[in-house]
Amino acid sequence: MERWRGQSEITIVTPVKPEAMSALGELLGAMARDVLGNDVLPFGRLTNTHFARFFLLDSAQAHDGIQLPAYLISMSDIDGRPEEGLAELVDVGGNGIDHLYSHCIGYPTALPASRQARLEYLRAHIVRADVNYVNTIGRTVQQIRGEAEVREAIEDFLDRGGPELVGGNPSAVRAAIREFVTSDGRLNWALTPAPAPPLAYRVRELVHFVVPVILGLLLLPVLVPVLLVWLVVLRLHEIRDPSPLVKPDRAHLDQLRALEDYTVQNQFIAAGFLKSGWFRRVTAVVILWLVGFGARHLFNNGNLAGVKTIHFARWILLDGAVRSVFVSNYDGSTESYMDDFIDKVAWALNAVFSNGAGYPATRWLLFGGARDEQAFKGFLRTHQLPTQVWYAAYDQLSALNIVDNAKIRAGLNGDMTELETQKWLRLL
Amino acid sequence: MAAVAVTPAQDLADLQGLLVRGYGNLTSACFLLLEIDEPDAARAWLALTADLATAADSRPTASSLNVAFTSSGLRALGLDSTVIEMFSNEFVEGIATPFRQRLLGDTGESAPASWAWGGPNGAPIHVAVMLYAVDEGALATLRDAETRRAAAHGLRTVSILDTVDLGGSEHFGFSDGVSQPAMAGLGRPDRSANTVAAGEFVLGYPNQYGLLGERPVLPRSADPMEILSLDVAGSGGADLGRNGSYLVFRQLSQDVRGFWRTVDHATRRPDGTSDPVRRTMLASKMVGRWPSGASLVVTPENDDPSYAKFNDFLYQDVDRDGLRCPVGSHIRRANPRDSLDPSPGSSRSLEVTNHHRILRRGREYGHRVDVKTLFDEVGEDEERGLHFVCLNANIARQFEFLQKTWINSPKFDGLHEGDDPVVGPRQALGDTFTVPASPVRTRVRGMPRFVAVRGGAYFFLPGRRALRYLASLGD
Ligand code: HEM
Repeated sequence: MERWRGQSEITIVTPVKPEAMSALGELLGAMARDVLGNDVLPFGRLTNTHFARFFLLDSAQAHDGIQLPAYLISMSDIDGRPEEGLAELVDVGGNGIDHLYSHCIGYPTALPASRQARLEYLRAHIVRADVNYVNTIGRTVQQIRGEAEVREAIEDFLDRGGPELVGGNPSAVRAAIREFVTSDGRLNWALTPAPAPPLAYRVRELVHFVVPVILGLLLLPVLVPVLLVWLVVLRLHEIRDPSPLVKPDRAHLDQLRALEDYTVQNQFIAAGFLKSGWFRRVTAVVILWLVGFGARHLFNNGNLAGVKTIHFARWILLDGAVRSVFVSNYDGSTESYMDDFIDKVAWALNAVFSNGAGYPATRWLLFGGARDEQAFKGFLRTHQLPTQVWYAAYDQLSALNIVDNAKIRAGLNGDMTELETQKWLRLL
Repeated sequence: MAAVAVTPAQDLADLQGLLVRGYGNLTSACFLLLEIDEPDAARAWLALTADLATAADSRPTASSLNVAFTSSGLRALGLDSTVIEMFSNEFVEGIATPFRQRLLGDTGESAPASWAWGGPNGAPIHVAVMLYAVDEGALATLRDAETRRAAAHGLRTVSILDTVDLGGSEHFGFSDGVSQPAMAGLGRPDRSANTVAAGEFVLGYPNQYGLLGERPVLPRSADPMEILSLDVAGSGGADLGRNGSYLVFRQLSQDVRGFWRTVDHATRRPDGTSDPVRRTMLASKMVGRWPSGASLVVTPENDDPSYAKFNDFLYQDVDRDGLRCPVGSHIRRANPRDSLDPSPGSSRSLEVTNHHRILRRGREYGHRVDVKTLFDEVGEDEERGLHFVCLNANIARQFEFLQKTWINSPKFDGLHEGDDPVVGPRQALGDTFTVPASPVRTRVRGMPRFVAVRGGAYFFLPGRRALRYLASLGD
């Protein structure tokens, strides 16, 4: 029986022992060779995880000379609450968790660590994402896989049906499909509609949405002058900030490209420093909050302002808002992804990324920036990091496929007009 | 220093002719692929070739010669590697890398390792000399003269690629060369939906983003004789890219009998006999145009040659679901016009699509298939196909994007499976073709690959000043 579980993001950031960096790199390499079945963390046994990854963020020197540590970063997108995700990670990983995390500072030295000790260590290193984008909130891994199977079965049924079936009128075809699904014990679960978000969840989301909006409106008289001053200061920064045109190094590109384009989906990580100074840091924090707010309440249904190819994405600030990391799981090639950024959502990327050092020059936060194609692509590729270990639970489905499959399943139920029936059949 | 042209139309004598015309009147053509053995001699050859190269300023009536270089060719001519690195990555690295193999679908029998030319196991390709003439006799004379002249200058002929004139159609039997983008201010004007900035094809001019894009700009000191034009961006450098273009060359072998047998089997009547009408219909659904060239959007039920050259159509309003021209068809993938995100049917969507256009300049090769044996179970299996040639200013955003994101993708425009039914590589999920219909679609499954890759390279087609500059390198 399906139930509403909601989704959670988990980000675990653990500092790596400097002397263990290369061994850890090798271990991640070994895991990547058999993502589903490796003996550190056999991802194939995770049941509630949509996407997961492990990668290394190198140590680096901040603007003020402070040395920032190297991190092992684990990110996953799961069904249910973060606690459930952590528990599954620890249970599936078992001793593998020790193996992996003993490369990191502060991990228990008495091995094997207890389940409790493992959980505590991971929990202590969770970092909340500043922005978390979910293509469609609430759709579980089970549902996505199940609905894909239902569609496949219906398609096969139509292929077998031949001209008699295909020659019928729309309602007759739909009736035949429903009869087929009803009669198949492995498919008829799909006749029950997918669980809707419960009232408590909807109320919570509504409150989360309305309160800041009301507060914002009340504070408008204060916010407007602040905003105007901020805009002027921002513009001055924009004029001064350097934005060198960089061409990514070929060895770096090769390392990235070796990990790309094996299935219909790809992974992406971009990491870098924020521009120095408190102004950019504060701006970044505020903008990220706004973007996160928009992602949660406005762009939570398969469409990120015209981009429909992103499954999950997140932004996190690290080291006290000195470094930032952007991560996503998307459909298609890196080139098409970057083109989508430029052509469809340049303003949104500008708003966030322009606080990052080296970003192509923006005007008034939203303009310019990503529209400088060559500079933008050079910037992204130079700041991109290899995803050492990447797991995707349904790597042959595009985000659009998943949306369509849900509509196909939903259409198995209820009354439809002739026109609605025709439209529904076009999904097949 | 000459005034800097703001549109290529002001500098036509510097553009090689292939950029503005496909030489349709010169029906005979062949391509010489050369390797540079002796750089000094090759530069002497190039000095003369720069003068011989047909410019864009007038339409040749007897013959034409254009010349292009791979990045290893530029290196062999003696161009400094720091300058070569200023060209785009795609060009510098070449077409046959493991990454591009995945991107372009060059796997299995199409892998570069088994290519007839341009692959890692063959001789390096440095130069392509593209020859065009009014008839076979004139071409033979030109070809002999040019192979001799090349040989005399230490340029080894790796391969001569011949072509065939099929009277305007390609081997599967469909009219080819109907739809091309128009360049703003250059050549034949067209409605705005099909017009893109000249900088999408000619380096050194603003592209669709209003930017000059990536191109090799040298310090003035590297051009002491001031052969090159100045960088229009005002950097003070000399623009080696100006009036040039990137030329993608792929030898695409077509399994014509495989294509028609598959289509024939998929449309047989219940009693097992062939159904020629439905057969042509399915093949046309795969292409997106009828054999005459008429668009399925315009004339969905049957071929109408009066629309053979008609190209003024969009998809979203008339045919959103692909009931006329399937979403997965070749031409809808190769140029989706207004049908994709961010808002299908809008000028914004058209604008996005127009970032991914190419100028096609291909020619067919191999004998025309004998239609009498087309459907026989066994029959001749001669090598024939298309020498696919296209021009663009940004290989990654134009040709490679087109091939990867639209042609090869089983997820194109919301599809669940199936790559380009005509030219797709049949990677994972690739071998299904969906024909949208009322009340419900039909599908052809298990489609074999009809088009295989036999060779390929990325070339730079320089402007004529750039040719003279390259010829002067040793001086
Ligand atoms: C042997 C291989 C191929 C064959 C037989 C073939 C055939 C055709 C035909 C019959 C047309 C319609 C007529 C026309 O508009 O010219 C067409 C259009 C087109 N093809 Fe191909 N093609 C092949 C390979 C390719 C490849 C590899 C690409 C690009 C990577 C490509 C890109 C295009 C484009 C851009 C159009 C015009 C679409 C439009 O603007 O409506 N073709 N092709």
